[in-house]
Amino acid sequence: MTNEINNQIPKEIERFNVTFRIQHVLMLVTFLLLSFTGWALKYPEVEHAKWWVNIWGGPDMAGKIHRVAGVTMLLDFFWHVVYLGYLIGTGKMGFSLKTTIIPLPQDMIDAARNFAYFFGLTKERPKFGRFSYIHKFDYWAVFWGMFIIGSSGFILAFPVFMSKFFPGFTLNWVWPLLRILHSDEALLAIVFILFWHFFNEHLKWGKFPMSWTWITGKISTEEMKHEHPLEYEMRFGKESDK
Amino acid sequence: MRKAFLFFIPLISLISLMFLWASAYAADECLICHSAMSGKVKTAKGDVVDVHVDAGAFEGSVHGSFECTGCHVNFTSGPHTPPGGKLDRQITALVPFTSKKSKSSPAALAACVNCHKPIYDDLKASVHGENIFAKKEADAPLCLDCHGNPHYIVPKADPRSRVNHANMLETCGRCHENEEIVNKYGLSPYVIEKYKESFHGKKYILGHKRVPICNDCHGAHLITKVDAPNSPVSGEGKVKTCGKCHRGATAKFAAAPAHKYIGKDNPIPYYGEKMLIVLLLGVFLFIFSHVILESVAEIRDRVFRKEDHHHDE
Repeated sequence: MTNEINNQIPKEIERFNVTFRIQHVLMLVTFLLLSFTGWALKYPEVEHAKWWVNIWGGPDMAGKIHRVAGVTMLLDFFWHVVYLGYLIGTGKMGFSLKTTIIPLPQDMIDAARNFAYFFGLTKERPKFGRFSYIHKFDYWAVFWGMFIIGSSGFILAFPVFMSKFFPGFTLNWVWPLLRILHSDEALLAIVFILFWHFFNEHLKWGKFPMSWTWITGKISTEEMKHEHPLEYEMRFGKESDK
Repeated sequence: MRKAFLFFIPLISLISLMFLWASAYAADECLICHSAMSGKVKTAKGDVVDVHVDAGAFEGSVHGSFECTGCHVNFTSGPHTPPGGKLDRQITALVPFTSKKSKSSPAALAACVNCHKPIYDDLKASVHGENIFAKKEADAPLCLDCHGNPHYIVPKADPRSRVNHANMLETCGRCHENEEIVNKYGLSPYVIEKYKESFHGKKYILGHKRVPICNDCHGAHLITKVDAPNSPVSGEGKVKTCGKCHRGATAKFAAAPAHKYIGKDNPIPYYGEKMLIVLLLGVFLFIFSHVILESVAEIRDRVFRKEDHHHDE
């Protein structure tokens, strides 16, 4: 019996389809471009700011790259949302508590349990589904970033046009506020990607120096069993665990 | 015919060149000494004057073809004859004001008007000019305060020019960053710092070539107070000024503060930033501690709990 089931288990399975992978690559490229071309403007008075911005063709060209990359990223984001709507609408994407990316109360419990495990209070790691609270945090941070950085960036890029939509009483504070939002949230996004996304998806033991999933879309069943046990059980049954 | 032509062309060129030499010679005559002299002398009035003129730099300047006496109008000939000669009425009228500012030769300072009359008139009508010509102040800016030494003036496009786009912030800052002058005239304080903090200012610091610098919005020779009726940076004037770069700018767009400190008087961005910093620090604390604690736990497991560990299977 065990053998039969084991025979049905492939060595690896597709975790992200090609559309998601393209969306991710677009996000990755535009994110890097935006970070690189915007960075000098955040700290223009530091010694190497001029040198850095000149690598990107000078402040004028850096600004142009930043705007094009920004609009591309927003379009990529809308594509993702529309694509999700299509998958759900056509029934190609079902819903299960074990595979959903939507934050659930269970995620809070998982996080608390994981910290307990870090501190040695429990020997058992929490069992994650397709997306752990770590992945969910990573994923929804992009939505937050799109909302705050994307919208403020779009308004700042087209100020004459966008100024028409702001009521008179906002005009004294809305522009400095947008600039602060764009700049500080961008710093947050960069640090977040470096320390949360890179560490958890690429630099961790077993994945270092890079996970290939973002290119191949595949995850080994072995990794799935350890990282996403609930999803594994859902697909292949508990039997196959031992 | 052809031969005659070949003869006359060089001859005419030579003769015209000689005229050029003649005029250059007049400058050379002074420069024989003044380019070699170094140091400073005390004039009869008690001013200390630098007597050195760098001949090469002078010839390379926009005024390099001028005779010395073109501007030093009260010197006629000969190096050691005392200043004399009749002055133009236009210059005489300016001398009482320029003498407040010039160390050695107020007439030479007034002589700019000979060629730059419209600009001189603009300056007189400006708030800078008001301080010189109405209030007779010595520290208000006249030509040289912004344009630098007249012997070495280079075109505005030259990066060495004090009024070049890249140097303008420093040039204006010489007074507008000077606390004494700011207090004396009741100028808006910290304007240079505020500009540097602004979006335009940050791009300027990075070397952006087209970003507006002081004079692009505030004007130059005809500069006014911010709240003057004809000010280019308030009311209708500001809308027009913004529109120079931001096509289709409206009063609503122009209402945006160009360079203002974000203080408690503007609570939404002020406290907004404070809240953002709390959010950032909160997120950083969570992600850093998560990464570090997980790493420590992983090492602990690998070293002390080998039997429980599944990752290596």
